[in-house]
Amino acid sequence: MKKTILRNRLFRYGILTVVLVLVVRLSLGFGQRSFENFCPFGGMESLWGLITTKEFSCSLGPLNLSILIAVLILAIIAKKAFCGWACPIGFLSELAGRLGGLIWKKRPRPDPKVNRAAKLLRYVVLVAALYFTYKAGELILRGYDPYFLIFSRFGHGSLGTVSWIVLGALLVGAFAVPMFFCRYLCPLSATFDPFARLGVIKVVRNEHKCTDCGLCEKACPHDIAPQKMIKVVHHDCTNCLECVDVCPVKGALELKATL
Amino acid sequence: MNIPRYILPLLIAAALFGGYALRAAFTHPSSSVQFSANGSKKVTCIVDGIRCKGTSDFFIRLYSKTPGIAHIETYATEHKAIIKYDPNLITPNQIRSVMEAQIPLRDGTSRQVFFCQSMK
Repeated sequence: MKKTILRNRLFRYGILTVVLVLVVRLSLGFGQRSFENFCPFGGMESLWGLITTKEFSCSLGPLNLSILIAVLILAIIAKKAFCGWACPIGFLSELAGRLGGLIWKKRPRPDPKVNRAAKLLRYVVLVAALYFTYKAGELILRGYDPYFLIFSRFGHGSLGTVSWIVLGALLVGAFAVPMFFCRYLCPLSATFDPFARLGVIKVVRNEHKCTDCGLCEKACPHDIAPQKMIKVVHHDCTNCLECVDVCPVKGALELKATL
Repeated sequence: MNIPRYILPLLIAAALFGGYALRAAFTHPSSSVQFSANGSKKVTCIVDGIRCKGTSDFFIRLYSKTPGIAHIETYATEHKAIIKYDPNLITPNQIRSVMEAQIPLRDGTSRQVFFCQSMK
């Protein structure tokens, strides 16, 4: 059982590592494009400028928009699989969370009400990011963006000490709460939300086989409780399949294509 | 219908490649200027220094008084310039020299602004 969990996790981590290496490679100047051109949220940020002036904001380009469209279609098909299987920041967050899990003997789980309310913050971040980007015509929030700060190595647009504090706070947050940035602050995650609810490929619970052991909820990095649902339609689900892997009853949780 | 887990990375790869292929639909030149109609040959250059609309326009201004240049299109996001020229008046090497020339600045100094990474 443990071997299967580890093998499946390594499979997903292997894919995430490939993506991470490709982004690092781009950030080091190998390849014709900047690592920023591959961020789907850049597509959101460039929309207003594109509509009003037919120009992309500085550092953004057609690839941001086309990748945004592609991953939104992907979200309708496979929920937030992009976050769980391809996003380098999600990967680093998850690794930090796992490290945090080693430090905490028993990690305190955020109160469900506080957790739910704090998740609304990502919509605030989404609105703020779009408002300020559209108003300024350039990516003025780069200094707070972990993707930019990490891969540009605090390049042009970072805010020096403020950026270090932001990144440090995100790291501490990730140690304390798994997927801290993705849960509470990621504007791309907020963009995916309405599309992810429609996701066709999702984890489905067989209530006749399920023993309500709760292992799936403990394994979920987003604190979703699959044992309380028939279909995991929760908009935070990234289809990482940790719940399926820890389930002790074969066939109780399965990945299915269903409406 | 049960779905094997390897379908997820395949779907993501398909989405990313699809997105990459789709980019052409949104690509348009940052700047485009026609100098004359005599451009029978064309070179495509990847230029370090073409970064935005401003640097695109500046790049084109470098060629405004160069004989033999017929048409220039720049793509800031791809750091690319497509230059049509008259081979009887200018050669690709001369085109390269113009873009890589030292440019006088307001403070009296001069500096190379554009670096041609490749020319085809």
